[in-house]
Amino acid sequence: MELLKVENLSVEIGGQKDKVKPVRDVSFSLHKGEVLAIVGESGCGKSMLCKSVIGLLPKSGKITAGSIYAAGTDITHYTERQMEKLRGSFFSMIFQDPLTALDPTCTIGSQIAEAIRVHHKDMTKAEVNARVLDLMHLVGIEEPQERKNLYPYNFSGGMRQRSVMAIALASNPRVLLADEPTTALDVTIQAQILDLLRMIQEELDTATILVSHDLGVVARVADRVAIMYAGKIVEIGTAKEVFYDPRHPYTWGLMQSLPGFSRGKDRLHTIPGMPPSLVHLPKGDAFAARNEYALGIDYEQEPPMFQITKTHYAATWLLDKRAPKIECPIKRGRNDE
Amino acid sequence: MKTNKVVYYLKKLLIFLVSILALSILVFFISRMTPTDPLQSYYGERTEKMSVEEKDRARERLGLNDPIVIQYGKWVQNAFHGEFGISFKYKQDVKIVIGKRIGNTLVLGGVGFILTFVGAILLGVLCATHENSLLDRAISTIGTITSCIPEFWFSLLLIFVFSVIWHVLPSSGAYSVGKEGDLLDRIRHLIMPMIVVIFEHLWYYAYMVRNKLLEEVRSDYVSLFKSVGINRRRIVFGHCLKNIMPTIVSIMAISVPHIIGGTYIVESVFSYPGIGMLSYESARYGDYNMLMVLCMMTGIVIIFCNILGQIINEKIDPRIKANEITERSEVSYGDGQ
Repeated sequence: MELLKVENLSVEIGGQKDKVKPVRDVSFSLHKGEVLAIVGESGCGKSMLCKSVIGLLPKSGKITAGSIYAAGTDITHYTERQMEKLRGSFFSMIFQDPLTALDPTCTIGSQIAEAIRVHHKDMTKAEVNARVLDLMHLVGIEEPQERKNLYPYNFSGGMRQRSVMAIALASNPRVLLADEPTTALDVTIQAQILDLLRMIQEELDTATILVSHDLGVVARVADRVAIMYAGKIVEIGTAKEVFYDPRHPYTWGLMQSLPGFSRGKDRLHTIPGMPPSLVHLPKGDAFAARNEYALGIDYEQEPPMFQITKTHYAATWLLDKRAPKIECPIKRGRNDE
Repeated sequence: MKTNKVVYYLKKLLIFLVSILALSILVFFISRMTPTDPLQSYYGERTEKMSVEEKDRARERLGLNDPIVIQYGKWVQNAFHGEFGISFKYKQDVKIVIGKRIGNTLVLGGVGFILTFVGAILLGVLCATHENSLLDRAISTIGTITSCIPEFWFSLLLIFVFSVIWHVLPSSGAYSVGKEGDLLDRIRHLIMPMIVVIFEHLWYYAYMVRNKLLEEVRSDYVSLFKSVGINRRRIVFGHCLKNIMPTIVSIMAISVPHIIGGTYIVESVFSYPGIGMLSYESARYGDYNMLMVLCMMTGIVIIFCNILGQIINEKIDPRIKANEITERSEVSYGDGQ
């Protein structure tokens, strides 16, 4: 069953003069118990996509088109009060920087307890306490009995991200949105947190949307991958399809930029140019100017989603019947970094 | 741990005593170096008709011919016995003169102080929760305008409107002649000075509360708590406001001199018989003994408030005394994974 479904979602932020469109015509669905990774450069709208799903867009932002379905129910126009009921119980979100994501003046235990009580108002103190210890144990914080009375500043970055996850999981959400959960952590801790994400997802059957700009991170945990560019999903498919049979030139560029791809060469591959400003988007395909395989039509008209397999889609004119055949520049087997 | 606390408070006490000593030296020497004639406050207009010898004899009698250092030594000696000398102007023990008036200032300053901060927190929270709304902008604009008006001018304006034109409120004093015990009459006299004291400071502090709170509301933990379904109001009042309380408390402690200073000016304009008026007179006419006691009193209150602010801060925000604890906790509660 589709747990979460987003259809043709568009989001705008800002006033009359400088309207930004961080999300443009995005569609995807999330199934029970899977990890969907959303990959893209900084500022391509990944975080805004998550925030619009969970209803935490900034005040000036609004959904201008499309709809969001939570377990089949249209929640696009839910009021703040209705969303509050869903948050925590249906979905919750964790953020990039665990160092600032906890209230510095409350103990870890009390913050987890507060998150539990939101949706379980009738729990007794002892029950809440037991649940706090369970959650801390679940996210791998040892000696929870003692550590629940500590403050965030007593904890290291990895431990704080674990605490943040305990808070997010307090009411057993069915969907967890993780916005770059490992970016602020060092590499060894990153791996631990990713394993934890995967473990939790398997143990609790929580579906996860993992936002990242790191293909290595994504390859480690994702079932399906969506590549985002300038507010649009340009390629989506199972991890195997996207990693072993990428079809969009942007995906090629991202993979070629992995250090492993340039092994033995003098310099790393880069995608030329900069992502376009989301205020003034170019006509046609937003990626055309940076695309060495761009066709004439790319500058005129935005490509639709072409279906490759039942699960694999990409938005590039190269997949049109009339387009010239272009070989994927990535050799198989080199991109398993 | 217990000895730590004793050492901590002893340190604060030491700082307090050293500051007071320094203050007394400064005030004593500066007041005697200013070109005021203390004889003028003792003999009034008669000083102009006194011969040089008469003046010299009078000085000798008042102990003003000794070297300053010896005068200071004598003053300290007497001060330890609770003797602060007589007021040159009132020819009475300064304690008695001050005792008669201090109540008036305590009422004006104390009540004004409390109302200022209660108002500032209320307005600040109101503005922050309605950021950039019409209400917020209106309050901010009115605040900026009123806080730019000098106290004495605002006082005169009030006197002009309420006393001269409308005859509803008395323009000076603390009570009408012969109605010393009449509470209602005293309140009527208090209204205008109180309005000036509150209005001059209210906006400034309300604005500080507003900005601090807005900064706090943007922290990541607010997003996390929102994403697990905790009510916005609960986050703002339960976490954000609590976290900015240390700042508010230290602002309150530091603002004591501002508000006391404001009270002194207001007292002069309204001829309100408090110690503010007394300080002004004693400094103007070289009533040394009176000036010393008033400066010491004001100074002790201010220094005490600063130290108190610091102690309260450390009680509310555990991070401030973090250095004590982290060493211990880092050993046993590190990233134990």
